[in-house]
Amino acid sequence: MSREHETVWEVFARKAYEEPLHHVGTVTEDDEDLALVSARAIYDEQPWIHMILVPRSQIREAILA
Amino acid sequence: MTTTPSAVDPATTTMISLVGSLADNKGALGRRYGEWAVSAPTIESAVAAAAMAQDELGHARSTYPVLAKLGVAREDEGLAAGHPLAVIDHELDDWASFIAANLVVDGILTTFVASARDSSIEPLAQRARKILQEEGAHRVHAEAWLRRICRTGGGDLELLTQRVGEMWAQASRWPGPPDHPGYEAAVAAAMVADGPEVVRERVRVWLAARFEAEGVEVALEDPSDWEGWDEERRR
Repeated sequence: MSREHETVWEVFARKAYEEPLHHVGTVTEDDEDLALVSARAIYDEQPWIHMILVPRSQIREAILA
Repeated sequence: MTTTPSAVDPATTTMISLVGSLADNKGALGRRYGEWAVSAPTIESAVAAAAMAQDELGHARSTYPVLAKLGVAREDEGLAAGHPLAVIDHELDDWASFIAANLVVDGILTTFVASARDSSIEPLAQRARKILQEEGAHRVHAEAWLRRICRTGGGDLELLTQRVGEMWAQASRWPGPPDHPGYEAAVAAAMVADGPEVVRERVRVWLAARFEAEGVEVALEDPSDWEGWDEERRR
């Protein structure tokens, strides 16, 4: 099953509200709901209180050395 | 092995059957989901399958002790015992069967659990609320895969509708016949909020709407022949 055209989501999470969001990994899913389910299942090793997903295509680079 | 008290009222007898069978089916569903944790179509789905398996086995494990509250002595037989629906009593043949079980079997069981959220059997109500929290993700998974397969179409969709039909033929019988005296007594005693017809109808309406939204029609017939229906096995 080729997945090269599927959406890659960058996953960010934090364990406390006073902490910044950390990048924890990626999931590859076209369906937004499945991406959320997958991210929660894959990155469940920490007691996160907040997790967000951002489509990689929506990220804008401010600096690129 | 379970030992059911000989003289209990019809409502309790029905709840013993429902709760015991709920746990049996959740245990079986957990094993079926777990078998796909290494062979799902994508790594993301494999991990989701593993997480869902863990949830279902946890639900089975936490539901069995409710039977003790209903006066049933049950030896700890692990999670491989009981009498689940025949469609999930063996390894699922294909991913379409996994999604059909996720949609139909999980759908029927969760709709029953939702009807026990405010049960007068307090240990059941407590477990129901916890189970419903975790089942939210299962429903999202099922609906998302339904959309994906419907949009793929062709043989994948044909197989999914076939598997949904097979699962529905058995799972729609799980709540039991309409106007069942024990179930009616259980509703009257606030052990559950809704009878078998309501549970079946909720799942049918939800499932038909999900397919319809993708332009696919599925026939989800009401079971009509209750001859030979076994209350203990609920099939």
